[in-house]
Amino acid sequence: MASPKTLPKDAQVMIQILKDMGITEYEPRVINQMLEFTYRYVTTIIEDAKIYATHAKKSTVDAEDIKLAIQCRMDQSFTSPPPRDFLLEVARQKNGTPLPLIKPYTGPRLPPDRYCLTAPNYRLKSIQKKVSSSGGRITVPRLSVGSVSSRPGTPTLGTPSVTPKVATPLSLSGQRFTVQIPNSQTAVSKTVTPSTPTVQNVLINPSLIGSKNILITTKMVSQSSASESLKRKHEDDDDYDNL
Amino acid sequence: MAAVQSGQSETEEEKEIQPETSNDGSRTDLRPPAESPGGPASSPGAVKPSAPGEEETLRAVLRFLQKNNLSESVEILRREAGLPDEPEDQTGSESSGTGSGGQEAGGGVGDAGSLLSRVSAAPTPAAATVAAPPPPPLKVGAGDDRPDVNVVLSAYSQQGDPVLYDVYYSGLKKFIESVLDCHRAELSQVFYPLFVHMYLELVYNNHEAESKAFFEKFSGDQECYYADDLRILSSLSKKEHMRGNETLLDFRTSKFVLRISRDSYQLLKRHLQERQNNQIWTIIQEHLYIDIFDGMPRSKSQIDAMSGSLAGEAKRDSNKAKVFYGLLKEPEIEVPLDDEDEEVENEEGKPKKKKPKKDSLGNKSKKQDPNAPQQNRIPLPELKDSDKLDKIMNLKEATKRVRLGRDTLPSICFYSFLNAYQGLTAVDFTDDSSLIAGGYADSTVRVWSVTPKKLRRVKSAADLSLIDKESDDVLERIMDEKTASESKILHGHSGPVYGISFSPDRNYLLSCSEDGTVRLWSLQTFTCLVGYKGHNYPVWDTQFSPYGYYFISGGHDRVARLWATDHYQPLRMFAGHLADITCTRFHPNSNYVATGSSDRTIRLWDVLTGNCVRILTGHKGPIHAIAFSPNGKFMASGATDGRVLLWDIGHGIMIGDLKGHTDAIYTLKFSRDGEILASGSMDNTVRLWDAFKAFDELETDDFTATTGHIHLPENSQELLLGTYLTKATPVIHLHFTRRNLLLAAGAYNP
Repeated sequence: MASPKTLPKDAQVMIQILKDMGITEYEPRVINQMLEFTYRYVTTIIEDAKIYATHAKKSTVDAEDIKLAIQCRMDQSFTSPPPRDFLLEVARQKNGTPLPLIKPYTGPRLPPDRYCLTAPNYRLKSIQKKVSSSGGRITVPRLSVGSVSSRPGTPTLGTPSVTPKVATPLSLSGQRFTVQIPNSQTAVSKTVTPSTPTVQNVLINPSLIGSKNILITTKMVSQSSASESLKRKHEDDDDYDNL
Repeated sequence: MAAVQSGQSETEEEKEIQPETSNDGSRTDLRPPAESPGGPASSPGAVKPSAPGEEETLRAVLRFLQKNNLSESVEILRREAGLPDEPEDQTGSESSGTGSGGQEAGGGVGDAGSLLSRVSAAPTPAAATVAAPPPPPLKVGAGDDRPDVNVVLSAYSQQGDPVLYDVYYSGLKKFIESVLDCHRAELSQVFYPLFVHMYLELVYNNHEAESKAFFEKFSGDQECYYADDLRILSSLSKKEHMRGNETLLDFRTSKFVLRISRDSYQLLKRHLQERQNNQIWTIIQEHLYIDIFDGMPRSKSQIDAMSGSLAGEAKRDSNKAKVFYGLLKEPEIEVPLDDEDEEVENEEGKPKKKKPKKDSLGNKSKKQDPNAPQQNRIPLPELKDSDKLDKIMNLKEATKRVRLGRDTLPSICFYSFLNAYQGLTAVDFTDDSSLIAGGYADSTVRVWSVTPKKLRRVKSAADLSLIDKESDDVLERIMDEKTASESKILHGHSGPVYGISFSPDRNYLLSCSEDGTVRLWSLQTFTCLVGYKGHNYPVWDTQFSPYGYYFISGGHDRVARLWATDHYQPLRMFAGHLADITCTRFHPNSNYVATGSSDRTIRLWDVLTGNCVRILTGHKGPIHAIAFSPNGKFMASGATDGRVLLWDIGHGIMIGDLKGHTDAIYTLKFSRDGEILASGSMDNTVRLWDAFKAFDELETDDFTATTGHIHLPENSQELLLGTYLTKATPVIHLHFTRRNLLLAAGAYNP
């Protein structure tokens, strides 16, 4: 540690504070961290206070603003646990209910599924046949990341020339088509996307959706064959060959 | 208005009289008897309160109105509620009532000269602070509280001139130094709480300079074990500092309990009442709860042994509830025909003709142990087949168990966690010692297999449908060999993991962390199953019940919660501690939970009702380790002060004090039959103590329990069987295997 004489004044003050609080052993970097925290905290407070002062149309920041800033920050970041009497009251109510009986032979005893973390965090594409009955819905053309690269032959199946090769941004920015992210294919998809220019992608431009309905359905039919292949196990490597 | 005026002057007159006379005497006689339910309400000639609480609320409202000079409303309320004219049993209100009365008087009638001097000394307090009814003695476990009113009204009122506090305190000091030796020790207990409350009062009423002077002058006199508290106090110099500090706020509103013998108490009372300025007396009444017992005054060492907690000692009646400390009866299990090796050896040459014999765990009697709880007192999960197999295995191991004792000490096997970079925060072993788990400050949990058998994951659903379910080794087939590895890492928490606990059936692992959640992990799929959210603040410790299904967690919010794995909300909340709960342990019969806290007390809670049945004081530092003896009767606890204290749960008193460690003790474990107690601490040692001897010569009886005249034998040296040093590795977990081999764990810091 640098000798106290050469330390900046702030650091000396911090050392003194640590000593006053009874902390005698600490690593040298602790002082830096404490100073960083102090600086950040004070700047935040002063900035907040400036905002409050301008809101109150005052020209200078005064003690009231600082106090308000501190109070708001305290309630936000440095909350403290609830007071004891509140806890006692809540505990009294909760402890009044008898312990629930345990149902025998129920397998792993876990809370209802919505409170567990056991749900899958992906969703499989549903069968296309079902979708055709509700044709005209935007969700119909299910754009699958893996199969964006539909077989080269597909676009030619009865689609007018308007459609082809409009590069899709392929952003998952909620264009109202469902994107499936097959777990094992996420890695693959990343390699797929850069090669979009060469691949036939479909842009679902909202403004063109109406006119594209028919197109979409036909496309969808063609895509259904593509998508069905995806519904097999994700480790299926067939799709990659089509890229 | 005239009526109102007279009403006011009337009250003023009454107030004039009160300070002078020994009305105090009559008032305070109500206090000393330890049993004063809703003490404030038991004034002489008290009005029939519908409930002590409601009368209290009415009085509080009355004083609030008085403070705001809403005199007419005051009169109306008083008339309608039928409250007596002057709540003379409340000393705090007296001064603030004086304040308000004085203010009105100051405006008009100014005849109470002595009163005005009080009032002038506290002009702002009368306006700013509100009347302070002595908060209802916070009965253990009885949620006797009305949140809003208490919080509003529980402030410090000015008890006289701040400059004179110095004088009052010195006066008391002189007096106590002059009493007989036998009383001095007991009366010296008063110093610390009085000092703290007076200091806080000065700070709260914004007398910064006086508070600093007061602190400097008298803080050095306090007992050494209060040093940490005093340091925290010294950093509080303004009222705003107190706002966020929940512990101090609770200290302010709760009563510090002192146990003083009747003779000493009489001495004190007489001295304080014969003086004109008995501010100290009023402060004592307001903030201290003096539990009087008849008998010999206690000696300094006895007092020192029991004191040290944030709220003084425990009241006598808080430790009176019956505790069922016996063990639950083990179920009868049939040991089936088996072809273990040792049986074969025994029966070699002989035809194996063994009838399945009944498993007898030595519990031949059908009578219920009077100290054991009923089997169905709390619902417990039924035994599954796998549990039965486990028990049989346990029995077999028990037969091979080494009998430990003074002459046969256990061997210690130390597991050092390498490359933890000082981030190892929690460790646990399974009961059969096959798995070890470590919780780290980088929010991961790592599980290792201690045996050569590797850790495997269960196959995915698709693969599981392919296996033959009828085969004998289906339990092997469901495991995916591809995922076999020595260790597994569990990610999920977003903060350091402070507590880990395996379930008794080795299927689940619990971990609690600074992010406020407790997570349940499956040890078959090594994924997280549930996150139990309830604490919004760091959770410091968690533990599964010895029978599985239930678990407890305790954290910074000063509440311990009992959960069941299939409820997403806690079943019980154990509130009562003044500071965070640092250690939570189940009793072997799963009916009681012990929590150790930073307020230096240990509380024993009943799972069935949620009540606190024992408060055990004596430690001088936050408690980090608690262990129950296998027979359920005794408990050992270790804290940062380096002492291990032994407690008799049935009577609720301390029976032993093991000195030896020089640094904080983080783990305690009894051997399988309770013969040896092992303790591990930050001073890099494991120490073994003779538990049999420590619990052997007990002479506890009711007298000892009530008066606190504990006799701690100074036999730490005799009980210490061995000290085992590691080079530089603090010991953070201990575990006795089923054969009484001691396993220890710690992180290696080169």
